[in-house]
Parts: sequence; C-alpha cells; structure tokens
Amino acid sequence: MKFLYEKDLRQMKYTILTSTKHDETVRAIAERLGMSDAKLRMMLIRRFDMSLLENLESRWQMGQRHANDGDPVAEELGYELFTRFIPLVDTETMQTIYTDTQAMTQEIPFEEAIARGRARIREAILS
Amino acid sequence: MSILQKIKNTVRSRSIHVSYVDVGSCNGCDIEVLACLAPRYDIEQYGIYVHNNPREADVLLVIGSVTPQWVDKLREIWDKIPEPKVAVAIGNCPISGCVYARRGTLTSPPVEKYIPIAAQVPGCPPRPTEILNAILSVAPLIFKDYEEKQP
Amino acid sequence: MKKTVDVSIPLGPMHPCWKEPVRLKCETAGERVLRAEVELGYMKKGIERIMQGRPWQEVMFLAERVCGICSVIHNMVFIETMEKISDIAVPPRAAYLRVVANELDRIASHILANFSYCYTIEHETLAMYLLNTRETVLDNLERLTGSRINTAYMIPGGVRFDLLPEDAAAMLADLREVEEEMKRHVRIFETGPLIALRSKGIGFMSREDAIRAHTVGPTARASGVEDCDLRLHHPTYRELGFTQITRTEGDNFARVMVRFQEVFQSIDLIRKCIDTLPEGPIRGGGFCKAGETSYAGEAPRGELTYTIRTDDYGRVVDIAIRTPSIMNIEACAHAMIKDAASIADVTSTFISSDPCIACNER
Repeated sequence: MKFLYEKDLRQMKYTILTSTKHDETVRAIAERLGMSDAKLRMMLIRRFDMSLLENLESRWQMGQRHANDGDPVAEELGYELFTRFIPLVDTETMQTIYTDTQAMTQEIPFEEAIARGRARIREAILS
Repeated sequence: MSILQKIKNTVRSRSIHVSYVDVGSCNGCDIEVLACLAPRYDIEQYGIYVHNNPREADVLLVIGSVTPQWVDKLREIWDKIPEPKVAVAIGNCPISGCVYARRGTLTSPPVEKYIPIAAQVPGCPPRPTEILNAILSVAPLIFKDYEEKQP
Repeated sequence: MKKTVDVSIPLGPMHPCWKEPVRLKCETAGERVLRAEVELGYMKKGIERIMQGRPWQEVMFLAERVCGICSVIHNMVFIETMEKISDIAVPPRAAYLRVVANELDRIASHILANFSYCYTIEHETLAMYLLNTRETVLDNLERLTGSRINTAYMIPGGVRFDLLPEDAAAMLADLREVEEEMKRHVRIFETGPLIALRSKGIGFMSREDAIRAHTVGPTARASGVEDCDLRLHHPTYRELGFTQITRTEGDNFARVMVRFQEVFQSIDLIRKCIDTLPEGPIRGGGFCKAGETSYAGEAPRGELTYTIRTDDYGRVVDIAIRTPSIMNIEACAHAMIKDAASIADVTSTFISSDPCIACNER
C-alpha cells in the first residue's frame, strides 16, 4: 500500500501559468527583469506553490500600485516588489545587492549601476 | 440464516457511515450533501453518520468529474474503505461529466472508469431529499446478508 | 519552495473539516507552524478553456458552474459584463430583483461559511442551528428563482421571473424569522467563552499583509481595509444606500463576525428592495455585440472580475475570471497560518477565510 502521495506538480503548475491573464503577467515580470519568459516560468514553477502562482496577477498589480521605497535605486531594482509582493529573491540577498548598487552609483553613471544591479538580481533568481 | 448474520443485518441497517469525496465539481452537490445534515432533513435519524474518513465508511458519495490529481487517488481511497462498501454517484458530473465534458476540458469522466458505482443520483445538483433517498435505498441492497451472499 | 525544516505535516486532500479537496503542507517546529504551502489541482476543471469559443447563451450556464455556493453572483457579473459590452439597459424592476437574488445568495453563503467555522472548532450545536437557518434562506431563493443552487436567474437585459406580491409578503415574513434566529446565533457566538478561546487573537493578518496579497471581501474587511466592497460603486446598491462594514481586529473572530453583520445588512437591503420595488417590465431587449471589457462585482467572498472578449455573433472569444478565493486562500496560507501556535489552529484559520477551492481553481 502506498503511504506517500507526493505527485509531480510541474504540469499542473504550467497549466495555471498558461491561462490568459497569468501569461500576460509572466511576460510583464520577465520584461521588467530583462530575462526570457521561459526561464522565469521555470523558476516560478520551481519556487512558488500553486496558490501563489494563481495569485501572481493580483500581487503584481498591487506591487505596482503600492510598492514604493522613496528611493530611485530601490525603485529601479524593485526592492519591495521582488521581496515582499512577489517573493522571488530573499530579503538578505536583495539588501546586499541594494547596498552595493547604492555604493556603485557614486562611482559610475546611474544607468550602468542599475544595469549591474539588475544582472545580479537575475542571477539570484536563477540560482 | 445464522444468528450472527441476523445481528449483523440489524446493526448495519441502523448504522451507515458516509464519506464523501469531491473529485472536481462546482461545489453545488457538496453543499447539498451538507444540507442533508441540517435538522430539517436530519440524516442522522436514519442512523446515517456523515464524516469524512474513508477508513471507517460504508458508503462513499462521489461528486464531480475526475480531475488529473484524482485519476490515481480515487482508486486508492476506494481500496481503503473496508468491506462491505458501496459507492454512490451524486449529480450529473460523475455520470457523464455534465458541463465539463467539452472540448478543452481537463477532466476525464465518468467515475465508473475508476471505481464501481452502485447507484446514481442525477441532477445538477440533486435535492437533499433525493440524496437521502438514494443512500437509504441502496444501502440495504448491498449490506443485507452480505456474508451469505459471498461465494 | 525551499525547505527550512524536515517535519512537514500534510492536511488533506480528504479532511473531515474541509468540504472540498485541498492539501496544506505545514512545516512545523514542534507545534508551531513555520510556513504552509498549498497544493491545488484537485478541482482544476479548466472551465475558462471550455468557455472559449462558445456562444454567450452557453457561457451563461457555464459561469454559474464555476462555483456552486456563489452561483448567483457569477451569473450576475457575467451578465453585467455582457451588458456593458453591448450597451443593454436593464429595467429598474429587474435591477432590484437582481439585488434580491444576490443578497439571498450572499446570506446563504455567509451562513454556510460560519457553519463550517463552527463545525471546525467543534461547536456542533451552533453549526446545526446555522445550517437550519440557511434552509429557510434557500427556500426563499427557490421561491424567487425556482432553484436552490444553480439558478440561472439573470439574462442580458433583465431577469427571468417576476416577484409576485404574495411571494414578496411570504419572503418578508421568512426574513423576519431568519433575523430573529440569527440574532440568537450571533449572541451565542459573541458570548461563548470557549468560542472566544478558539477564535480571538488567532490567525491574525495585518492590514499591510492584506493589501499586499490583495485580499478582498470579509477577509479584508476584518483586517480594516477601507473601500474594498464593490457594492459601494454598484448603481443599484448606491440607490439603496449601502455602507461598508469594517472591523479592525483581523483575527478569526473578526472574520466570522463581519459575515454575521453582513447577513443583517443583506436582510435590510432585501427589505428595502421589496418595499421600494419599482413597477414595470422585468425584461428589456438587446443584442450582444463584439467588444472587450473587464468588470468586477462583489461576490460573498469578495471582488470577482470577469474579463471578456466577444465577437460579432456574441461568442466569447477569450475570457479570464479572477475569483476572490484566489487572493484569500493565498493570503491565508502565507500570512495567517504562518506562525500559528498549533496545528489545531491551522484548520480553523483556513476555514475562517472562507476558502472556495472550486472558485480558486476554476
């Protein structure tokens, strides 16, 4: 007799992400992060549970409406958006990326520092 | 008929444990099964006790067309129910799939593919009285003289 | 998701407290729940995929079968979206009758949710009282629409059946009875010392968490989120003078009490509707046209959004449904259950957010 009921959920999670609204949301998040949506989808399936995936659209909307850090660097990086609203990166990693980028803006131009910061966020998500 | 069988018959006719499993419906039949608990219909006056534990159930009420997660699990639940047991399909969904048996669906009705069904209560959803009536009429057919009917 | 501890206690998919199958995996340290994960897929019927490419006459009935408990509001929001797309006006009498049907459904749904909560904390007496009261409400829904659960009462440009004067009188008499009974039940719930021990201060959700997960309905209103009731913006409800009920505690007790208070409010709304029911036809006319729009209505559990694109023949080309349970279950699993003091509180907290898995997965 079987005592464990763990089942492979990847197919069902993918079904959730392919509905109209979720697909749009995944594309929007991928554009914001500057990564391909197939890779993002893979990471979402690996990290999030099914109810969080279902709620992705509302969280993304609320994140865009309410996440503000009052700081251009944090805003560009999506500090609160990607830790609290859509928990793709854990808070400690985000904090180090944020402080490093903040320090970098003193030395190199703002856009370049942000670009480097975003690259590190992508790395953190894919790791 | 032995005395033991007689005692079993008497006891079984007044103590039916019901378990229900929703394998992907709209929830309408669920709440109609729940409504049977209400003092108006009072399912317990007939000796029927509803709780959701298949290991001590006699009657399994199956609700809904079968979703991907239930394809293998429904059979497991059925195997856990001790003999004698009976499954009753509530609503149109387990019988034919109702509105979900269309192009693009994720379900795979009917339930009969997975477990043997003894009685069907069609309706979308059926009334609580119909559900009650079905349980009361199918249970004696299966449970009376169960041991003697065994080959 | 990353595992933090090894002990994972699964609840469900078949659980005595849960009406529908869902699986909660709670990671625990001793009795304390560190975090919970929801495993769905037990009710995924793919109804949005079925709806695509079908005429509205068919989608109307499919929309009801997204969820059986709140079927009236699913019907209403779909029909109002179609009316918005094709500029169909509703006669005033029909608009009022829609409110009557919707509020009856809301009372039934709220009582069922509170029944489940009382059943989960093992207060079976109150649970059975509530379930019996619900039958009276369903009788009235049947009197108005001809069916208990899936009513299909509304159609573009009106409603199907009129409310006769003698039926209205009987309904008012029944509602008086329901109100008296509910007052007694609320008194039992409010003053019960054992209920308070199981409910007050348990499953707390802060206002920030509620906003972050976009919780809606009684779950959000119990946490003190203002302006989250879409009935405030609905034209018919505005005529009736609707005000939102908000509590600030944010625990299980508040969520159940918000639902109790809304039952009384709904009874008042129905009375006002029947007293001021305008004369006139109950069905207008019109054609469903091509267009695309997004429209939201207030379901018993919160904001329900339909995004529909239709073609010239009135066929639904694309549809996306956002049900309230999506947000509420997610917030419940990741904000309320997190740091629950014991496993015993997980079930009652989960039920207190009024989860509807059929809505959540569609």
